[in-house]
Amino acid sequence: MIPPFDYIIPETLEEACNILWEAGKGVGVIAGGTDLVIGLRNGDHSPRLLIDITRIPELRKIEEQDGRILIGAAVTHSEIVSSPLLKKYGKILSDAASVIGSPQIRNLGTIGGNIVNASPAADSLPPLMVLNAVGKIVSREGAREAPLDQLFKGPYETNLKPHEILVHIGFEKLSSVMRSSFIRLARREAMAIARMSMAVVLRIERSSNLIKDIRISPGAVMPRPQRMPEVEDFLKGKSPDEAILKTASQKVSGVMVLTSGVRSSTPYKAPVVEALFLRAMRSCLEDRG
Amino acid sequence: MRLKDFTSNLKRSDPQTFRRLSLIQTMEITIKFTINGKIVKVEVPPHWTLLRLLREKLGLTGTKEGCGIGECGACTVVMDGRPINACLILAPKAEGRSVETVEGLGDQVFLHPLQQSFIDHGAVQCGFCTPGILMSAKTLLDGNPHPTKEEVKGAISGHLCRCTGYQQIVEAIEDTGKKRKVIR
Repeated sequence: MIPPFDYIIPETLEEACNILWEAGKGVGVIAGGTDLVIGLRNGDHSPRLLIDITRIPELRKIEEQDGRILIGAAVTHSEIVSSPLLKKYGKILSDAASVIGSPQIRNLGTIGGNIVNASPAADSLPPLMVLNAVGKIVSREGAREAPLDQLFKGPYETNLKPHEILVHIGFEKLSSVMRSSFIRLARREAMAIARMSMAVVLRIERSSNLIKDIRISPGAVMPRPQRMPEVEDFLKGKSPDEAILKTASQKVSGVMVLTSGVRSSTPYKAPVVEALFLRAMRSCLEDRG
Repeated sequence: MRLKDFTSNLKRSDPQTFRRLSLIQTMEITIKFTINGKIVKVEVPPHWTLLRLLREKLGLTGTKEGCGIGECGACTVVMDGRPINACLILAPKAEGRSVETVEGLGDQVFLHPLQQSFIDHGAVQCGFCTPGILMSAKTLLDGNPHPTKEEVKGAISGHLCRCTGYQQIVEAIEDTGKKRKVIR
């Protein structure tokens, strides 16, 4: 059973910031609630007041601004999937959003919730990492920009302060020369939490056939979402042939083991994360047409 | 800080927000929403889920509680045209929304074509998952009257049925789409 609390639905961002600022401890922010309500039920949280931010206009928009795409924190996964803007300039994110949970969960769950909840297995985080996404965070003290890779401290932990609200997440539009791929592995197709995933953005220079830009972020295999600069630097300037990709894939599993340590699951995860990386790269390369 | 201190602080520092906040009673709040086409106004404790509100206050027990954590889809209702898990959504979120449950689909005299098709195809065994699946299927057919088998499977991917093995359910939904074509 869920213990009692008060509930308020602010209509403006200013109002939400003021309430959060004044309220102090024991106040929670709720967006879609698909994780929070389960937490309330399990007794993981017992807030005395919940602030519902899903009716604040700034948090509900997907828009294009100065070559960037901004997605409001309370935009649902379904809205991301059906957005033509994202299909065009951030398809890797809509691909990931389309496999989250189930249709019912996608209609409730929000991108902001997926970020702030900071699950290592969150599906939208690897794509956002390779899109170099930056969050806009506000509080009564003012606004700040937080590059996503600096937002996460560890599993289920961000450096968001209790009185702060994530307003939107933004990234530079992915140009048509950039290829991207998101691959997800779970125990079954629907309703399963990702066991491993892989997000890759790739740009090959047409004239030389060399890798110009490469961004790699695996999901669910490390404590927090992160990129793999070691592997990215190795690949930059090289030709994407099978031998190079094979070496790079071994570097991917190497970084994973270095970051997460050797675990009982490592003999399974190392070859599989390599295979996911290779599949993602091949999918980008085929896509080049 | 207790809620009383919190509100008195807020009254001083931000009177405008305080006025809005003070409209909310601490025990129960009043929400107004549309349920199966009828506007209702109900008092509900804000920590209740929509599922509990439907079943325990509005007497709409057609919507079932299965797992209670959004995995099984038995509690699926349609809100503003989209299927959602009623067990994962707190009741205050229904404010101003339009909610449809299986009670709004049809009744024993006038069955919805989907309900008739479920009977014809033997798609109901124990029946616990049926109301939820009907709501997802209805949403699918509303937007896409003639779905493919894959689209049907996608639409019901958030539902568990432990009796049928899904085959009859998928056929029943597909067939409803096909029959509509004949009528047209």
